[in-house]
Amino acid sequence: MVRLSDEARELIEKFQKTAKQKEFQFDFFVDQTKYEKWEDVVIGTEGVGERTFVVKKEDIESYVECTMEENPVFKDEEFAKETPWGGLIAPPMFITPVVFWIASAGAGSWIRTPGAINPGQKIEFYEPIREGDEITIKSQAYDKYLKRGKRYLTYYSELINQRGELVAKWWGTLILPYSKDEEKHKIKGGKK
Amino acid sequence: MSESIKFDDVELDYELPTLEREISQEVISMFGTGSLDFNPIHMDPVWARNVGLFMVGKTIGHGQLTIALLTQVITNWCYKEGGKLKAIDIKLIWPLFSGDTVTCGGKIVAKHPRQIEMSFVDIELYADNQQQKRVAVGKAQVYLP
Repeated sequence: MVRLSDEARELIEKFQKTAKQKEFQFDFFVDQTKYEKWEDVVIGTEGVGERTFVVKKEDIESYVECTMEENPVFKDEEFAKETPWGGLIAPPMFITPVVFWIASAGAGSWIRTPGAINPGQKIEFYEPIREGDEITIKSQAYDKYLKRGKRYLTYYSELINQRGELVAKWWGTLILPYSKDEEKHKIKGGKK
Repeated sequence: MSESIKFDDVELDYELPTLEREISQEVISMFGTGSLDFNPIHMDPVWARNVGLFMVGKTIGHGQLTIALLTQVITNWCYKEGGKLKAIDIKLIWPLFSGDTVTCGGKIVAKHPRQIEMSFVDIELYADNQQQKRVAVGKAQVYLP
């Protein structure tokens, strides 16, 4: 069974800061047989994320740091107060950890598939995220297709805050690898 | 910055200030931890070597990091003055391998006058690696005051 190497683990442990990062299962090889598979996804299926992302100060600070952000609108409370935002906001792409956090339990696990490739993303932004917000996700299996022999899967997700306001619409696409079960017949003497 | 970013003042073909970042394994591991995307294609140099990832045997930077840096080109330009990202549509066309350097930029390609506070511009975005190979293209819509 493949597992994340010690070198990879040491690098991760060096950067783990927030409570969410510390409790997160960061070895995506573990449980990979349980992730939703491309061939099993039924287009149109709707789901609600099983978790809520409660936005802590440290969550925003960590994201700002890991993206090498220099803009005081996202870092400096005093500065941000004087801007039209009236206070600190999270950078627009802060929705990345929000989605990974929520999708790591139950529906949406396919985004953890080892070897999945990001071909690009389409996102519309609405309400900015601020400390104290509680973000939930509604999503729908939106499209799956083959292109040049590769398997694309798109989910449409709406991120919503505790006031019921729309935060973002995200058409999230990944190219997924073929699963082991489907490749078995190609291996001579492999188990059927 | 004295340059106005008011909708009425900005001009077509204006090039936004570029952003350059080195995508080292440290940067990739830091981003993966901060964004909770621990895919081994980014996070595990040993696994990448063993499977000969992309026939290069190196990890690649997160597409989400490239997208984050592309959005920073916009937020650095107009967020202090109350500009706001409306939408992005980005295509990632070539990986950034660990050790590469990425340069991100954008250019105003259209202006859409609307009612008060709803006017927006279209910005064409790009990201290049250190060999001037294009690794991402896309478009953003941005509300300007």
